Amino acid sequence: MIKKLTLATVALLLALGLSAQTFTGGVRGTVVSRADRSPVPGAVLVLYQGTAEVATVTSGDDGRFLIEDLDNGIYDLVIQAPDYLETRVNVTVNDGYVKNMFNLSLTRGAVVSEVDVDNLVEFDMDDTGYGDSPTVLFGQNDVFNNVAGYNFSSVRYRVRGYSSESQDVYLAGVKMNDAITGYSPFSLWSGLNEATRTKYTVNGAEISDYGIGGYNGLTNLPVNALSVRKGWRGSVLTNSQLYRLRLMMTYASGPRDDGWSYAFNVSARLGGNDWVKGVYYRSFAYYGAIEKQFNDAHKLGLVFMGTPGQRGAANSSTQEVYDLMGDNMYNSNWGYQNGKVRNARVRKTHEPIAILKYDFTPGHKFNAAATVLYRFGKNGYTALDWYDAQDPRPDYYRNLPSYYFMEDDDYNRMNGMKAAWAEEVWRNDIPQYAHINWDRLYAVNKLNVEDGERRSKYALQERRVDQQDLNFAFNFKWRPSRIFTLTGGADAKVNRTEYYQKMDDLLGGEYFYNMDSFAERDYAAFPYMTQNDLDYWLANGKVQKIRVGDKYGYDYYANVRKWNGWLSGKLNVGNFEMALGGRVGQTAFWRQGLNRKGLFPGVDNEGKPIYIDGREVTTYDENGDPITSYGKSKVAKFLTYAGKVNLNYVLPGGHRFYANAGYFNDAPTFSQSFMSPRTRNQLAPELTTVKTLTGDINYQVSSNGYNFRITGYYTDIMDQAKVMSFYDDGQNSFTNFALTGIDERHVGMEMGWKIPTDIPNLALQGVIAYGEYYYTSNPKMYQTIDNNASIVEGTYGVVVPYWKSHPDVDGTIVRHYVESTPQLAVSLGLNWNWNYWFVDADIDYFGHSYLSMNPLYRTDYATAGPDREVTPFEVSYMCEQEKFNPAWLLNFSVGKSWYIQRTYQLGFSLNAKNLLNNTWVKTGGYEQTRIVKNTVAKEMFYRFDSKYFYMSGFNYMLNIYFRF
Amino acid sequence: MRKRILIVAAATLALAACEEWEPVFTGEYGDVYMYEAAELEVTSTIADLKELYAKHGVLKIQDDDMVIAGKVISDDHSGNIYRELYIQDETGVISVKIGLSSLYSDYKLGQTVYVKCSGLTIGQYNGMPQLGIEDPTGEYETSYLDNRYLIDAHVIRGAWGDPVPPRRVTEDELAAALKEGYTNHLWGQLVTLEDLQYGAQPEYNTEAYKRIFILIYIDPYKDKKASTNRVFCSTETFGVTTWAMSKNKFLEYLDGGHFDRCTSSDKSMDDIFDEKTGLTVKQTIRENATAITTSHYFHMPHGQAVQIRTSGFAKFADTEIDPDILGDPKGKDDCALCSATGILTVYNGAAQLALVDENSVKIQK
Repeated sequence: MIKKLTLATVALLLALGLSAQTFTGGVRGTVVSRADRSPVPGAVLVLYQGTAEVATVTSGDDGRFLIEDLDNGIYDLVIQAPDYLETRVNVTVNDGYVKNMFNLSLTRGAVVSEVDVDNLVEFDMDDTGYGDSPTVLFGQNDVFNNVAGYNFSSVRYRVRGYSSESQDVYLAGVKMNDAITGYSPFSLWSGLNEATRTKYTVNGAEISDYGIGGYNGLTNLPVNALSVRKGWRGSVLTNSQLYRLRLMMTYASGPRDDGWSYAFNVSARLGGNDWVKGVYYRSFAYYGAIEKQFNDAHKLGLVFMGTPGQRGAANSSTQEVYDLMGDNMYNSNWGYQNGKVRNARVRKTHEPIAILKYDFTPGHKFNAAATVLYRFGKNGYTALDWYDAQDPRPDYYRNLPSYYFMEDDDYNRMNGMKAAWAEEVWRNDIPQYAHINWDRLYAVNKLNVEDGERRSKYALQERRVDQQDLNFAFNFKWRPSRIFTLTGGADAKVNRTEYYQKMDDLLGGEYFYNMDSFAERDYAAFPYMTQNDLDYWLANGKVQKIRVGDKYGYDYYANVRKWNGWLSGKLNVGNFEMALGGRVGQTAFWRQGLNRKGLFPGVDNEGKPIYIDGREVTTYDENGDPITSYGKSKVAKFLTYAGKVNLNYVLPGGHRFYANAGYFNDAPTFSQSFMSPRTRNQLAPELTTVKTLTGDINYQVSSNGYNFRITGYYTDIMDQAKVMSFYDDGQNSFTNFALTGIDERHVGMEMGWKIPTDIPNLALQGVIAYGEYYYTSNPKMYQTIDNNASIVEGTYGVVVPYWKSHPDVDGTIVRHYVESTPQLAVSLGLNWNWNYWFVDADIDYFGHSYLSMNPLYRTDYATAGPDREVTPFEVSYMCEQEKFNPAWLLNFSVGKSWYIQRTYQLGFSLNAKNLLNNTWVKTGGYEQTRIVKNTVAKEMFYRFDSKYFYMSGFNYMLNIYFRF
Repeated sequence: MRKRILIVAAATLALAACEEWEPVFTGEYGDVYMYEAAELEVTSTIADLKELYAKHGVLKIQDDDMVIAGKVISDDHSGNIYRELYIQDETGVISVKIGLSSLYSDYKLGQTVYVKCSGLTIGQYNGMPQLGIEDPTGEYETSYLDNRYLIDAHVIRGAWGDPVPPRRVTEDELAAALKEGYTNHLWGQLVTLEDLQYGAQPEYNTEAYKRIFILIYIDPYKDKKASTNRVFCSTETFGVTTWAMSKNKFLEYLDGGHFDRCTSSDKSMDDIFDEKTGLTVKQTIRENATAITTSHYFHMPHGQAVQIRTSGFAKFADTEIDPDILGDPKGKDDCALCSATGILTVYNGAAQLALVDENSVKIQK
């Protein structure tokens, strides 16, 4: 029925769109860059008659625009585009003609961050349960976003406190948020700055032309050949924060007379940095696009891009380590091998994207586009693995002084002598102990001859997440009259992602056992239970030997299927505009285990329990269902839908009032839903959709060089789920926490301004973002342990009573906040532009940032301690959430470009960040999910030290570019 | 013009390349450094070291130059020997308390190891000589060397060599060693005991004939020394047929009712242990279950008792003991004679043997 309705609607729309129309007068033209005559897509053109705003349009991918239905008269046309200065021109319309303005040129103005949007050191956060992915703000004609997007990125600022999953990012009309985690996918095209420079962005709960979107904005990157600036462009960039050198070359043909156009963009990013040792880039990027305009109505485009390469990751440590090293940028992931720095955590990726897009523009009243997008390839990172050996991590807690000595006698750590030895390692940075001792790992492997071969005790594994992601998207826009616009579309996603471990390097050995060393501790008597591949063991009677390149450990598919249909209508009456939109769809996902793990063998192919040595090895969950690692899980299915309303009122003089509201019912992601996908098919209990209610009201003014926006927003996000997995050496196992029913509230304001001063070309600019983002529910928690099918008593299916707040010792209720973003961020700056010079200076303040909480510390179990008696002191001690110190930052940028013989352009920009060299600014971290249990008094438990990420100190970026 | 731009670009590149940036990536790291066997001047024997304790009691060694040497005779691959490195010279054996697991990764059987004794502490644990570091809590005479830097500063690896074969120890030798106590050279040696038979009547203990001994802490977060928090199961076999018990094997025994008759000093298994939780002793044990170290009693032909003591964390903990060795759990003399190889230790005047692995006990034909 729905299908029929959809078809009928589409047919009707097509018919209407194709019907002939007549115009009165108008104005048309192409917005181009003064520098190189390349088209400027996405420029916003506002037409005024006197002070009355008559029309607003946006330039297309080729820079073209058209404003119709104009009465004869004299108008003012104001053109704004990201990175360009605002321009005004007079237009006269007479005799009902559409006046062609030809090329309207714009001058570049604003500071652009040349470093990629994922310009933060990648931290190694796997196994911590801590997710960290900042949202990325794009300028796009918004004074707040212009400033905040550039200045706030270094502190991992999240727009309105929202998680990165909530930001919709589209490529050529296809939503690209990761199918499994929901994370925004910027790393897929990092290094392709020129190919992805053109962006269409809406904020908050506004409705976009590409989809209804969510509550945290929607950005579409067209990436077609025509969206790239025409001509050659080359650049050399050096920066001190991430990599030393970036080389980039771009060419775009622009629209050619024969209807073809093409573009390419290649880059290389290489080298280390000033701040984090072991972090390096060896990344390349390529992009090629070709497009053919067949006639006015049909356009077909093909894009192929990818970013092959590798980069070393950083790791977080405890403050104790940072303090002893005297360096908050200490990275425990690397060590010397043969005198060379070697990083154990290297991300290796190559995930190409192929896009085929068809655009249909039969007339001015209707356009539609259809895209097929396929993402594939490999994505992995290496990590140390060990079996039958000591923990090789240098900052393992038993290597720290605090493990031997604590002032508080209750810890029973009183050995000052041992602490002194441990301290010396760190104070003097003795390389074989303060960093990974590769030489020792090799020596151990080489000397461990078993079964006639060298058995590796230490190895480097590669954890792979290989996606195959096929997408279809269709959207249309129909403007039957000046007052009404209908947009809509449909999309579908088929994703199959294989998660597996692969042997990357045996570090001098010849094989590695495919065994679960954690299970071995508890199941010494049952060798079948310790097998990662039970079928191999049953067939061969011995444990599998893993060689380089072999898959081992876990291996499973995450399968996701999604579809959506959406429609929105916009009504313009005078100065008033109203839009209504809605979408409906379905999300389904399931796990498919590719190997049978000894601990969770499940049932055999006929559905019968498995017996080994006459003993039933199949285990069952609390519902009596077999717990299985192999085969297909239950399919989790969710009906998703959303509705939005936008109201917009424009007053003469560039004033705009607008408000948005929306309700969303979205599926949890695969990664939030499976208890322990590495080992079994078990879904978290009580999974449900995430419900979000949001509203915002805004006032904006943009006139005579003045830009101002103020926004107030309120969002309730309900019923979120989360799964955290980490290694617990108390249990000698991976343990998993599934949380369901997490609610949070985000309420706050954003204000941004740019004000011209009496000094010519000098403007004051600034932003304030102030909000309160806090938890409003106590979720339910389910703890399981990976080497044991049984549930964990006391922490399974229990409410976490101190999640949203806890009582202080004096009984005051202390609220807990959404983590890892400043809830107060301020930037004040000066901006000067003259004769292709620009100078920008600003000072930023960040406050009200909080540390990510772990649920275990907020349980009755943790607050009761060994005596099982909850005291106010224990609650206050265990449950308190750390608030980071506020931070000041000072940044400075300067740039200039020169024209040479009108054909060539040479320019540079220099951005210097954190001039005060503050190296003590925490940007995130997490609490370890571990408890110190063995105390003297046996009255309370203690927390483990938290781990932190810090912002790097002073860093610069120098970009030199030339065009011809 | 194009030339000028290229020159600028080339100059920039050259500038970028000349900067002294350390190389951060290389696919090739070359051969790793393999440590070279050290050779140190040995100043004392292991017997000298033990003599120091015999003379002075617990002693932190101040002699800056004191170095002992010995061959590694312990192998912790099965996990039964844990966090101890036994080294032997011609005068005897000392256990070096290195608080790390998988020591056999770094210290190979037969390898010479030098110990710089300065700053270390010689002591004992229930009669067994140990070399460690001082324990300021006073709870033990010595504490573990568990920081690798501390270990490497004192324990130096020398040349590899042939493993020391196990020494056959007679019942008389064992009795004499027990009489001599601490300083006897047999303690810590890798030995083979023959003509062992299951079950024993320990001399110093007037209690009944013994077969197994286990100690279960009811709530490990409470005082482990309190007799109200301890459950002993000894004398009979309780149906235990494995060398020790991994956590899951222990639960299997517990749930099978094997230990239902064991008691703490004041409670039986079904009594409420803690009013706050409302759990019984057995339920509390279940909740906190962990691997259980188990002793099996054997005797030599003239009655000398020896405990074969196996860690619950040993990989062979759950290995079934040959039923012929156990014989009839109630009878005394129908058990097969066997030999056992392991590290011989002393515990409060009793002889204990830590097996190397599951192949260390053999029925004598």
